[in-house]
Amino acid sequence: MELPRPSCLTETDDPSTQMHIDTQPSRRGTLTALLAPALLAWAPTISAQEPADPPAETQIFIKAERVIVQPGKELKDAQVLVQGGKVLAVGTDLVAPEGARVLEAKVVCAGFIDPWSTLGLDSASASLADTNILTRAVDALDPFGSAVHLQAALRAGITGYGVALGGKASVKGLGAFVCTTNRADGGLDVLLKDSFIGATVGSSGDAFDRIGYAERLVKDIKAGEEYRVDQVEYTHEITKWRTEIAESEAKLEKDFKKAKKSRDKEIKEAKEDDKKFKEESYKEDRQPRKPRFDAEKEAWARVAEGTLPLVVEAHRYVELSALLDGTKGFDRLRLVIAGGTEVLPLAATLVERSIPVIVWPTPLGSQRPAGMQAHDLSLAGALAEKDVRVLLGSGGTSGTRDLPLLAAIAVGHGLEPEKALAALTTEAARALDMGNILGKVRAGYRADLLLLDGDPISTTTSIRQVISAGKIAFNVEGGQ
Amino acid sequence: MNISSITRLTAALALTSAVAFGGDSHAIKVGKVITMAGEPIENGIVLIESGRITAVGPASEIQIPWDAEVFEAPNLVAFPGQVEACTSQGMDRANESIDVAPFLNVVDSVDPVNFFYEEMLRAGITTLNVQQGNSTVIAGRGMIVKPSGMTVAAMTVRPEAGIKIAITPNRGKSRAVQLMILREAFAGLRRTLEGLVQEANDGNDHARREALAQGRDFEAEDGKGRAMTGSGWIVEGLEAVPRASIDSKILPLLAIVEGRISVYMACSTPMDVLHGLEIAKENGFLAQTVLLLGPTCWKVSDEIKAAGVRGVILSSTLEHTERAPFAEEDTVTVLPTHFAEKGIPFALASQNSTTESLWFQAARCVALGVDREVALAAITSGPAEVIGLSSEVGTIEKGKHGNLVLLSGDPLSLQTQVRYVFIEGKLTYDRTTDTRLQHLMDGVQPEGTSADEPVVEDIHEEERTAGDK
Repeated sequence: MELPRPSCLTETDDPSTQMHIDTQPSRRGTLTALLAPALLAWAPTISAQEPADPPAETQIFIKAERVIVQPGKELKDAQVLVQGGKVLAVGTDLVAPEGARVLEAKVVCAGFIDPWSTLGLDSASASLADTNILTRAVDALDPFGSAVHLQAALRAGITGYGVALGGKASVKGLGAFVCTTNRADGGLDVLLKDSFIGATVGSSGDAFDRIGYAERLVKDIKAGEEYRVDQVEYTHEITKWRTEIAESEAKLEKDFKKAKKSRDKEIKEAKEDDKKFKEESYKEDRQPRKPRFDAEKEAWARVAEGTLPLVVEAHRYVELSALLDGTKGFDRLRLVIAGGTEVLPLAATLVERSIPVIVWPTPLGSQRPAGMQAHDLSLAGALAEKDVRVLLGSGGTSGTRDLPLLAAIAVGHGLEPEKALAALTTEAARALDMGNILGKVRAGYRADLLLLDGDPISTTTSIRQVISAGKIAFNVEGGQ
Repeated sequence: MNISSITRLTAALALTSAVAFGGDSHAIKVGKVITMAGEPIENGIVLIESGRITAVGPASEIQIPWDAEVFEAPNLVAFPGQVEACTSQGMDRANESIDVAPFLNVVDSVDPVNFFYEEMLRAGITTLNVQQGNSTVIAGRGMIVKPSGMTVAAMTVRPEAGIKIAITPNRGKSRAVQLMILREAFAGLRRTLEGLVQEANDGNDHARREALAQGRDFEAEDGKGRAMTGSGWIVEGLEAVPRASIDSKILPLLAIVEGRISVYMACSTPMDVLHGLEIAKENGFLAQTVLLLGPTCWKVSDEIKAAGVRGVILSSTLEHTERAPFAEEDTVTVLPTHFAEKGIPFALASQNSTTESLWFQAARCVALGVDREVALAAITSGPAEVIGLSSEVGTIEKGKHGNLVLLSGDPLSLQTQVRYVFIEGKLTYDRTTDTRLQHLMDGVQPEGTSADEPVVEDIHEEERTAGDK
């Protein structure tokens, strides 16, 4: 049995390897891509349903009128070859290999990604407020209990999503990146156990409360940064101390015979004088003290140094500007705003600092926080107009299934279709460190593909097939 | 005190204390012996010496020693004393409010005069694994007891026989928090041990340099501690730290990681099981782990089998029905059959001492189509194996404890009564002297008590009548 412990995470869990500081936000993405084959399936009851000898890996060959490689880049009358869970080749002159399963479609695009979801969490974990930065969304995922919702999301074309714990706590802890599968248990593939840190400034009616939460987040990041600095300083100090001690030890060893002789002499003299012999006192530089391990600060340090993105839900102008002001000094911090109802006036700052905003273009009457009901559906379009990186998400709810519809609403209110597709594919993948394996129909990428009968972001397009990790996970015609 | 009051006293004591036979050698002669280790024996004899079974066989083959005390019951059926694989009853408080409390011990909480043990004995249960409840993350150390004896020491079969770990959150915690606390407990243990080793080594290095400077010959202190063992993670060089100098609060956790104590892991959902197995594997205690499973956990039985845990204990729910989300078909899974087919050692558990006692659960299994032998094993040899005591209890076999229940009929019949219970060869329960049962079942008033209303003398009667005049 493969237990839910991706090997790539043992590496990041180990504090000793966290000493290096990522200067390039995308660096961990590279790591993820390299380790992708080692990622494993979760809730793997699949083994119970498969015959003892699994059949040889079948290839899938897709012929399409249009292949959207990535938003803005299309191939006409093209083919996609899928094998071993990955896209093997994309081109216009590919020939179906013998024995490959051939599918035909009008349009092929990458599977959709929801960066802001609570889909698949067990119900208590989606609402309890006892979380902190160390709680992990993967611990609360229950594919067995959420099979219906997971299947519904998969059928709607959502092949991957970022999941953080729900609840009212300001810090929700480690969010995960998971992929939906077609297993009978509604199982999930966990691609990253530590994809991002989820947080919120709360939905209190009192603006000062919300600002207070924003400031506390800033303080936590600061504490994490200081903690990291202490660790780095300690590493320097202890290295220096060890070198010095080794030198003096070598000298002591060299002088030992002399020291022994003089000691013997002193003992003899003391005996003659009828005095008590006293050992010479030994002094050396004090060993530098190791900073006390603090798991929470360690996690915040990973936020401060940009290893983990920080996704903060904030809606009103006051707390948004408090948050943006407070985090100004952290050059490596990778902030993502979720919600951002009143963020438009701050667009220039967002562009300057390359901060993406996950917009939830939701109809009235949904589970939005009080006071956020009058959400302007044109926000996504307006932000994109100003060159802000726009993502679309299902608002930290389990309504991930509806994300393609929400995207269509956003398009109807001014968001360019191409940007809407980017929001659901490339941009979402990039924001959650998945940009090197997800979001494009490209050789080497994970084969999470949608076979459609029309444009991807449209309420009138229907999904014919969903391919997840190279397997047909949903087929509108039935069967596999 | 007259003769009859002495008799009454004896009768009252018979329930909880053993009635000593003359010698140490006993022969129990019954109409049938269901050994749970082979075919039943008609007209069988069980020989017990110094608490252990020395021979079992048909009367025609067994020679009763000349000095043996013979207990003859030709109409009764001998059955192995049943084994309750995990219970949180019989303590003055089952649950712990501290999240991580392995430094506590249920030995301080087990209450020998708790009616629970009397009920267990009456139901024919002779071995109980008492562990704390699930309202914690890592509980105190539990123990295996027999339901006889006036002190905890007298009841003890195995002290420190396990620790309860709850994967399923309780008391308003979320799963993520529960697991975070659990992981941190082991991570913290590892950090502490590594710190101790580092400290010891640094101290040793310093002492060596000091000796060099002073011109003394240095002798490193060694052989103080014991190297760490275990199949999970190891802190190298722990032998530099004497075990006695390690905080006793974390020693039981170290015992878990070194595989020296059993772990009873409460899992109510399949995901709980997967998380629990992951944590057990990481920390090297899979082989000592017993899972307490909720009704849906059968879904990960392949993972349970592959992980190689010692066994599982089922809840009182014996069948699970589920409607498939899109196919809308009901799937009924009979849990004992499922685990038996998967080859995973399992035990039944009684949730309370009357309506769902062990034999009743076994009878329900048979009603659900479970093989009779499988059902009977699930309350005797099965739980014995699960709690790691299969060499001692669970069957009537040579070398095992003389724990026998003499029944009036078939073990799974609703009309069968537990007539006598022998624990380690001693007659511990006798239904004819069970005054409480007689009172409840037959309305027999125990001698020396009265059902009449107490007579209260009206001491003011005279005053009142005087006033009337």
